[in-house]
Amino acid sequence: MKQFIDSVLKSKIRKAMPVMTHPGIEALGYTVKQAVSDGRIQYEAIKYIADNFDTIACMSMMDLTVEAEAFGAKINFPEHEIPTVSERLLADAAAISELKVPTLDAGRIPQYLLANRLAAENIRNKPVFSGCIGPFSLAGRLYDMSEIMVAIYIEPDAMEQLLSKCTEFMINYCLALKATGTQGVIIAEPAAGLLSGDDCMTCSTQFVKRIVDAVQDDTFTVILHNCGNTGQCTHAMIESGARALHFGNAIDMQQVLTDCPADILVFGNLDPVTVFKQGTPESIQSDTKVLMEKAGKYSNFVFSSGCDLPPFTPEINIRAFLNAVNQYQ
Amino acid sequence: MNKELLEKLSECVEFGKINQASPYPPQMKGQPGADEITREALESGIDPSEILNDALVFAMNKVGQKYSENKIFVPQMLLSAKAMSASMAHLKPFFASGAVKRKGTFIIGTVFGDLHDIGKNLVAMMVEGAGWEVIDLGIDVKAEQFVDALKAHPDAVIGVSALLTTTMVNIKPVIEAIKAYSPSTKIIVGGAPLSSDFAAAIGADGYSKNPQEGIELLDKISA
Ligand code: B12
Repeated sequence: MKQFIDSVLKSKIRKAMPVMTHPGIEALGYTVKQAVSDGRIQYEAIKYIADNFDTIACMSMMDLTVEAEAFGAKINFPEHEIPTVSERLLADAAAISELKVPTLDAGRIPQYLLANRLAAENIRNKPVFSGCIGPFSLAGRLYDMSEIMVAIYIEPDAMEQLLSKCTEFMINYCLALKATGTQGVIIAEPAAGLLSGDDCMTCSTQFVKRIVDAVQDDTFTVILHNCGNTGQCTHAMIESGARALHFGNAIDMQQVLTDCPADILVFGNLDPVTVFKQGTPESIQSDTKVLMEKAGKYSNFVFSSGCDLPPFTPEINIRAFLNAVNQYQ
Repeated sequence: MNKELLEKLSECVEFGKINQASPYPPQMKGQPGADEITREALESGIDPSEILNDALVFAMNKVGQKYSENKIFVPQMLLSAKAMSASMAHLKPFFASGAVKRKGTFIIGTVFGDLHDIGKNLVAMMVEGAGWEVIDLGIDVKAEQFVDALKAHPDAVIGVSALLTTTMVNIKPVIEAIKAYSPSTKIIVGGAPLSSDFAAAIGADGYSKNPQEGIELLDKISA
């Protein structure tokens, strides 16, 4: 994996890795519900992407409910959209202190491990990254996202306990993902982007760093994704120790690239919806060109979408994006 | 004395000091918060509408301003809103008795299919802080639920929030259902992917990109 990072850093050519699995699911005629519930189907979708798109790596699904479900949260499964948490699991400090850290056979975790194992075993032409949620976003899904924003100040001890339990689980889960043979994990921490830089440091970075310390080495990279960050959290993201950072479309990439050390890979950040899904091949080409002009000179930069490409993003737009990346070098 | 209490209350709301027990903000630890000070203010005979306007509305205005300038973030704004609610709880009886007039009723919800509620919650709290009665229908709210709430509060203005490009299109049927039931009801919309052009195209009466402007908009369309 160090090899992968070094090869990107040394290369004169900028590459691309949009965050996507839906195009594979759709091309194979499956529904999102099937792909999030059946590891074999999810693997087929990942494999389709690996074989059919000129990207530097592929990844498992960005489904931010698997971990919450393992803790016991109730989940809704729409046929063609990512599942959602349907009600608040934890109402108070007492519920947090009783909360058990789940084992890795809970909910759909085994299906996700299966998808990752099959992908790692069978995809040989490029690295495979696993995906999971970050500790603060997971805690927010269990405790209610608005409530946790306030609770970090008025019930700091209970929140520390909740974040520690979430982190303990995420370390176990990430170690298991690593054991499947993938080359890294994309940790999605969108809710941390709503915090100030200092709060991001205490409520997210500190815990992400525990995961990084437990799993990252020369064979396995952590890519920390925070699409809520508008600039105030960049420093906190760097402090996590992750060797790669992934940014959303709410941020200026040029600023990010001046803020980040040159040996950290930086991914970003075309809008998944307005650029990829609603755009046209022509518009996405010109958006890619603008990004190339801003960011193309940085050898640690990798072209990406700011977040997961939504279901039914036209394949022709994705291809136009990948062509544009190659064309505007 | 009165002025001093109102200033103290305003400070509690601005800095998110909910009650004495709350450890936030650290520099006000152990001191009475919005809860205790409002009780004291009422006991000392301060007019509830003065409490509402000179302390709560005044402070929430400042908070909204700081948020729009990126000086504070979502948690700080929610803490201020909580402090405001703690104070508001004491004022509720005066609203009910008619001793204090509110500006009107505002029904708000996140449109069906969408579960994002942080922005909606902020708007609800800020609008309440601006002197409105707020009925919060929560997330994933269907057209019928808006109409039912309107039946109970016929003079209300309605606010609809959406954070996803896939759900912002759901606002249109909500507006159609509300207007079919009550053509004169005013509806404002908001949420990150929306724009004033989009709002106009789906028949909304207004759009604003943050709670601050939303409040101005409400004042304008309900005047
Ligand atoms: C936090 C968050 C989440 C949390 C939500 C928690 C919660 N309880 O709300 C979680 C992790 C659960 C989540 C889930 C998803 N999310 Co999300 N999420 C975000 C994030 C990071 C922040 C949103 C937020 O709260 N902002 C802060 C608030 C204060 O701002 P706001 O909501 O815009 O509200 C302000 C104004 O818009 C206005 N306003 C809002 N409503 C109203 C209403 C009225 C009447 C008025 C006047 C004003 C007004 O005032 C508010 C205060 O200033 C954004 C990224 C971003 N940078 O925005 C993505 C984002 C919104 N999410 C996105 C997506 C795609 C999803 C998922 C589909 C992801 C997935 N693959 O599972 C799911 C959807 C679930 C569902 N069906 O709703 C995309 C949406 C893309 C699009 N345009 O469609 C975004 C933009 C991320 C991205 N870059 O791709 N998400």
